[in-house]
This record gives sequence, C-alpha cells and structure tokens, in this order.
Amino acid sequence: MRKRRSWIAPSILSLLLLLSVVWGYNQYNIRRQYEVALDNTYQRLFYDVKSHVDKVQVNLSKALLATTKERNVLLFSEIMNEATSARDKLAQMPISHNDTVATEKFLSQAADYSYFIIQKHMEGQEITPEQRSALKNIQLNAASFNNELNTLASRLAEDNFIVGMANAGRNQGNEGQPTNAFVTSLVNMDKEAAKAPELIYDGPFADQMLNRKPVGLSGKNVDLEIAKNAALDFLGREMAGDIQVFEEGENMNEVRIPIYTFQIASNNQRDIFTYVSVSKQDGKVINMTTPRGVNQKNLSLEEGLKKAQEFLNQKGFDNMEANYNLRYDGTVLYNFVYKQDDITIYPDLVKVKVALDTGDIVGFDAAAYYMNHQDRNLNKTALTQAQAQEKIKANFAIDSVRLALIPKGKEEVICYEFKGKYDGSDFIVYINGETGQEEQILQIIQNENGTLTF
Amino acid sequence: MKKKAYVTLALILAFTAIIQFYEPVYNANSANKYSMIPRSLYWGNQGDDVKRVQDKLLRWGYYDGNIDGVYGARTYRAVRRFQERNGLGVDGIVGPSTAIALGLPEAFAQPVSAQGTSRSADEYLLARCIHGEARGEPYVGKVAVGAVILNRTRSPQFPNTIAGVIYQPLAFTAVADGQINLTPNKDSINAARDALNGWDPTYGTLYYWNPATATSKWIWSRKVTLKIGKHWFGI
Repeated sequence: MRKRRSWIAPSILSLLLLLSVVWGYNQYNIRRQYEVALDNTYQRLFYDVKSHVDKVQVNLSKALLATTKERNVLLFSEIMNEATSARDKLAQMPISHNDTVATEKFLSQAADYSYFIIQKHMEGQEITPEQRSALKNIQLNAASFNNELNTLASRLAEDNFIVGMANAGRNQGNEGQPTNAFVTSLVNMDKEAAKAPELIYDGPFADQMLNRKPVGLSGKNVDLEIAKNAALDFLGREMAGDIQVFEEGENMNEVRIPIYTFQIASNNQRDIFTYVSVSKQDGKVINMTTPRGVNQKNLSLEEGLKKAQEFLNQKGFDNMEANYNLRYDGTVLYNFVYKQDDITIYPDLVKVKVALDTGDIVGFDAAAYYMNHQDRNLNKTALTQAQAQEKIKANFAIDSVRLALIPKGKEEVICYEFKGKYDGSDFIVYINGETGQEEQILQIIQNENGTLTF
Repeated sequence: MKKKAYVTLALILAFTAIIQFYEPVYNANSANKYSMIPRSLYWGNQGDDVKRVQDKLLRWGYYDGNIDGVYGARTYRAVRRFQERNGLGVDGIVGPSTAIALGLPEAFAQPVSAQGTSRSADEYLLARCIHGEARGEPYVGKVAVGAVILNRTRSPQFPNTIAGVIYQPLAFTAVADGQINLTPNKDSINAARDALNGWDPTYGTLYYWNPATATSKWIWSRKVTLKIGKHWFGI
C-alpha cells in the first residue's frame, strides 16, 4: 500500500505544474491579443491624424491661392472638418495632456477660424490682409506639424512602438522626462505651436472669448468681511449658522469671475449647508445653492414660480421675465431673463431653484447675468415684423413673435424671435432685425423634466 | 487502484482543457449598461414609465408609497428590495434586466419622436465620473469636478464632448482604474445636473488635482485658484 501511494503526490504536483504552465501560457496569449488590438487602434489613430493634418495644410495653401469666395467656402469647410478630426483623434492617443495642449488648441482654433472665414464669406466679405497673414501662420504651423509626423511615421515600423509609448506616457509624470521619440517629437511640436501668435477673430475658441471678463460688475474690490456680510444678508441671517470660507489659490484673480466661496451651516438643521459665492469685485452674490433632498410636493409649478419671482424682486432684480423651467426631484429650476423696452435680453440670465415642499429658494445663479448685463441702447429695428416674417420658411407654423437680443460671438444682435412648429417639432427661429439674416435656429425639446433647447 | 488513477488523470486533463479554452468573459454588459439609448430609470427620474414601475412594485408588495411617477427614496429602496429577492444586480436602477423581471420590457421601447434628442445619457456619464473622482468630497466639490469637465468641452485644448473629455487617455484616474463604473449615488447625480444646468463653482477652471496624491509634476505648474475639500482647482 505504501509503495503504491508514493507516486500519487509527485504526479499530482507535476500535473499541477503542467496546469499552471498551460494557464500561464493561455494568459500570455490573451494578453498579447489585447496588446496587438490596442496597438492597431493607436497606429490607426496616428496615421489618421497624419492624413488629416496633411489635408489641413494642403487645403490652406489652396485657399491662399483661390480667388473666388465660393471655392474658399468649400476649402474652408474641408479644413474645418479635417482639423476637428485631427484634434479628436490626437486626444484619443495615450499621450499625457500636457504634451499636446498647444497642438490641440492650434487644431481647434484652425477649425474655428475656418468657420469664422466661412461666415465672413457668406456675408459677402473678402479676406482682409490681417486674416490672410493669420491663415499663412496656420498653414506654416500645420506644415511643421506635418513634418514631425512624417519623421515619426518612418520610425513606426518598430514593433510595439505605440504601446511602449502608452507606458512611457504613464511613467512620464513621475520622471519628468519624456522617454521615447514619439513623445519627444510631440513635445517639440507642442512648443512650436505654443509660439504661434494669438488669433484675433470672433468665435467660441478665440482667446478674447475665452478670456472674457464680466461686464456687469463695475465697482471696487471688496474684502472678505464685506463679502461675508453680503452672503449672510443674502441668505437671511436668521437662517445662518456657522460660516466658513473656502481657501483660495494665489491665482484666484485669473478666473472668469474672482469670488469668495462660503459654506454656511443651517442654524436648525445640522446636515444642511448652503454654498454662497460672492464676487470680489462689487461684492455681489453670484451663486447660492442649498443641496437638500425634497421628498414632498406641496406647491404647484405656478406657486413655485411666484416664490421665485418674489425672491428676485426682493433681491433687487427688476424687469425679469420667467422663461422655461426644469423639474427634478421635487425642485424646479426657473430661468429668468432681463427685459428692457419690451425686448427680451437673453444674455442676462438668472436661474432660481425652488423646493416644492416648503417653497424655499434652494438655488440661485446670476453668473450669466453679471457676465453680460450692461446699459444698452436698443434702437428701433430696421425691419418690421412683417418684413422679417417673409424670411421664414412658408410652412413654419408660427405661434408667437417678439423682439429679443441674442449673443453672437462677442456681439449681441437684436432679432425677431419666431416660436412655432415645423414637421411636428418645436423650434425658435431668430431673424436679425437689422439685416434680415437667419441668425439662429433652436430646437425645443420637451421631456418629463421640462424644456431644453438645442 | 489503477482505474482510480486513470479517472483522476482524466479529470485533471478535462480540467486543464477547460482552463485552456476558457476565454475570460469580461463583463461587456456591465461596462456598457449605462450608455445604451433606451432609458434606464434611476433616482430623480419622472414620468409614466416610473409610474408603471411603482404600480408593479406596489402590487407585489415591495413599494409602499404613492404612484406619483417620481423616482424618489421609496422607489429606490423598493427597487433594491426587488432586485435583491430576484437575484438581480442590486443597484437601485431599473435597467433592461430589472425591467424584464418586472414584466415591463416595453418600458424600454423608446418612444419614437421627431425630436429624438436627450441629454440623460450625458447626465449619467457625468454623474459616474463625478462619483468615481469625488465621492468623498463636499457637494460643492462634486459640482466643481463636473464643471471642470464641462469647461473642458468648451475649451480648444480639449475634446468637445463629455465622453471625449472623460475618456481622454491619462486624464482621470477614476477612469483608468475603473471606478467610473461604480453606480453613482443621488448626490453625484444631482451634482451632475447642477453642473449641466450651469453652476460652475470654479468660474472657468480646467484642472483639478489632489495635492496629496498627484503624481504629475506638470500639474504643479498650473495656477491654483480655489481649494475645495481635498482638491485644488486651477487654470
């Protein structure tokens, strides 16, 4: 019996060993499959970026030569398309963001700038000498990017080059030194792109738009004590318990609206806090939010609206008109826009959130209002309503018309606002009151939570 | 005895074969279950589909509230109880499998409309990212994380979709380590909504990092503007 058993243990052990070898080999195979799949994806992205940038560059040189606006519009729409694709694909590659910041920005602005030129052409304007030199710069940048990409392409034959890059990208943060040719090359490109002069134009990605400052705040800077009082007064002192200020960084003054942010405990309910942000300039309350659960609905939408309206009046916001609303979780967010001379001023937007259980105001946001609000001289429009209406598609069933001021780039334009139905959906069409141009079309989406515009 | 050894051997070989040809099934479902187009019901939803769910749960004794069409705390608990008893994944969300178990597969037949646009997929994705990145933070810190993601979509330096920003390689640790696939709680969902509705507590910042754990040297070159909880926000 003893003799017989002596072979059992070793054979089981060797079988186990065999088993683990087989298992390990299997795992290795699976891993390789994934690696190859990943590598293929990255290689594809790389070659795609290269061909998109190629086309941006070539089309730009064509556009600089072309003489007709029609040709240019076609070329620039292609440039816009190719630059956007290049940016999108570059952002999917496993490269740390800091190595491609300027490159991505360059590609975005190239697309945005093309769109701007298309708009100018549509309005019948020619390219100015300044715009021409800006385009020349974009083209040179695209060309140098292209050269870098070409050099890289010739080295891509190396096996696993890009997966290696993924790892390099991940480790790079720790070591501070880019560890492979790919990243080094992109970093060089990025440095070049960062040197490009600022593009001056009117579009969402233009530097002037990104660095916009609030025009609705004009007074002097206030200190922390004054801001604290403003926050407490706004909330109502009888409601407020302990107040704390969030620590700010040394560059606070470089954000869009420099603020103090307070966290105020409720004096009767322990776990409820209200956050209030007060602008440093002028000491105005920009935002107030009390996140709390609302489980009951005792008020109707109209009663809630009345509460919101009362609140705004009490805080000194006059001439505000209720617009659409959104309902969530027992709260309603009402949007109010400023009205002047019977014209709806959309940029001056204030939001008020009402809890439908007690009717308390649990949210207030006037960031958009203070970014845009100013004294405006609104002239009579050149077009009459009837003239504007002629510009609208014949079978658009108009429900209502009014005058409205809408943002257009960094400008504001006065428009006739036509609300109505087309093909079963709700739309708003804006016709420029001066030029008769179709400035904007919004689709209105009604869902269970309220109204959204796209 | 020899017979026994053969049997053992055969068993082990069979086992080996199974292991050899076993392809690990990575749960593709669980990764994708939130991004599908039919609407999953979760905390804060309202509508007739919520009413239908409440009605079923009430009749089967899981739910004790009103049929008001509002997915609140009671509905959430009832759904969890239902999922627990029926061996479903307990996440408090009425997704396809829970709906089918409730006998409501039609709840997932999306109403066809000419509009066909919705932002609830974005809202939920943003909530998951907030939950993965900032679930221990104060509410304002959660909204701030959501706002940074939205600010990035409006910046030329970043992709301009929410998914593009969130899934940008090496951008968020919660995405890299899979924490983004956790089920977001009510706070995170509300924070995502507040951010989408325009509340930006940071007033335009593009970056945040945790000074205690940040590994990238580069991030320290950013300009700090505000500190909320464990996170520093900057541009």
